[in-house]
Amino acid sequence: MSGLFLARNQVAIVGFAHSQVVRRSTEPLGLTALRTARAAITDAGLVPSQIDGFASSSLMPTSGDHAAQDGISVVSSDWLAQHLGTEPKYVVGFQGIGQLTGSLTLAVNALASGAADYVLLHRALYSPPGKYNDSALARAKGGQQWSAPQGFFGALPGIALVYNEYCQRYGATREAMAHVVVEARKNGARLPWGYWYDKPLSFEDYMAEPLINDPMSRLDCDIPVHGVGVFILTRADRAKDMPNKPVFISGYANAYPSHNRISLHWTLDDMMEAGRAQAKRLWEKSGFTPGEIDLPQVYDAFSPYVYIWLESLGFCPEGEAHRFVMDGNIDSDKPGSLAVVSGGGALGNGRLHGVPQLLECYLQLAGRAGPRQREANTALFSYSAPNFGGSFVLTNDPA
Amino acid sequence: MNAPLLPVPDETSAPYWQGCAEHVLKLPCCSRCHEFTLPPDVTCPNCNSLEPEFTWQPVTGRGKVRTWTVIRQSFLGGFKVPFVLVDVQLDDQPQVRMIGQLLDGPDAPLHIGDAVTVAFDDLAPGVAVPAFRKVQSA
Repeated sequence: MSGLFLARNQVAIVGFAHSQVVRRSTEPLGLTALRTARAAITDAGLVPSQIDGFASSSLMPTSGDHAAQDGISVVSSDWLAQHLGTEPKYVVGFQGIGQLTGSLTLAVNALASGAADYVLLHRALYSPPGKYNDSALARAKGGQQWSAPQGFFGALPGIALVYNEYCQRYGATREAMAHVVVEARKNGARLPWGYWYDKPLSFEDYMAEPLINDPMSRLDCDIPVHGVGVFILTRADRAKDMPNKPVFISGYANAYPSHNRISLHWTLDDMMEAGRAQAKRLWEKSGFTPGEIDLPQVYDAFSPYVYIWLESLGFCPEGEAHRFVMDGNIDSDKPGSLAVVSGGGALGNGRLHGVPQLLECYLQLAGRAGPRQREANTALFSYSAPNFGGSFVLTNDPA
Repeated sequence: MNAPLLPVPDETSAPYWQGCAEHVLKLPCCSRCHEFTLPPDVTCPNCNSLEPEFTWQPVTGRGKVRTWTVIRQSFLGGFKVPFVLVDVQLDDQPQVRMIGQLLDGPDAPLHIGDAVTVAFDDLAPGVAVPAFRKVQSA
């Protein structure tokens, strides 16, 4: 099936709340999620009993030795629905790797089909004590036998391989990537709720940071944090009578693994191949073209993702993203730029799995960005890498 | 330094690890379409057969470096840093890309397309893991 998304602009985001983002908290993550959920419901002009749908993904993205406990270190839709004290009709969790885009897809489809009237979408991330990814793994069993015995473990070496292939193939430098990371931190420093609030990063500090998995440094990775983002969605017919300006979902596309490889071996070519296919579906379903997007927000938990998304979505030619960013084209303070990390992204907020990207789209299109308000009617956000993640187009002008 | 991280062979992988112990790289080959893959999947990722009945065939282990990274900080114990991981596309099974340590060490010059061949890192008596070595051009 092809053509426009049948529910194009029929579902809207009508409210949100975001917790303070901290490095670690003694508060159980479930409590933070409940407080944030209640605030989002109020923001949308609703009461908890009206929320009849819940969508989320609760994966804790670590290779380290941390137990995931619902309500403490992860928060599932089931847990939140039960503890919010409502009587939901629709409670779902997304199981794949493209978690925020995957769960937003479930929320939109539920509303478009009438399975629920008001859906609460949340993502809650926890930062455990100790090292996030360190493991005392003593034997490599199952899928890990193919990767861990040679020291290939966790997501970082895999993305380092992809990034180095990009650098070697296209001549990209660390100086170019500094433009991405410094830009994300500049924008993140302007967000009072963010972990990096008032803490911008200088070009010199980025360049001085030692590499940990060449060519990746610690500053090319988002920092694990404790934080929650919540969005309230409903159908367009209900949204028009609600307090906030609705932001409509025009279309989406997701991707799924396509090649049999050892775990976390995501190659540059796999990403670009899947990214081009995903972008084609996104433009077809949403009815928009890259040139019509005022504000793209691309995922940046690892800095090279910014290149991958810029190129696969067609915002610049393949192999050119590193020059594109060096030429100032993503500078949020430059008029006419493509400010793809204006919301700070993951690098400028902390590890919040796509929430900063979706939040920035919502705030800007709803006219709720305060002193950071930009002129924008169409936005796009992407999450994860394009071979596992997804992308959405949103608009405040559904006519 | 901690003890090396040893693989635990199972019914899907025992011939692979047996081959490694003997310093022979064997890869799973689908009995239906005769294509190679790694790791062995429940089905054949090439022909989608539900009964791939993979056989383990010795391969040359020659390949080209597609990319690499120097691991200066590892999340695992048991590894002496820095070490180099190479992503190798096999010459004779180009659909297979393997990741292994480059035994030439972190100071060896590397370029995309450099020729490498499989080597074996003996972790313990009877246990070896595939790695790679640069092939010097004549």
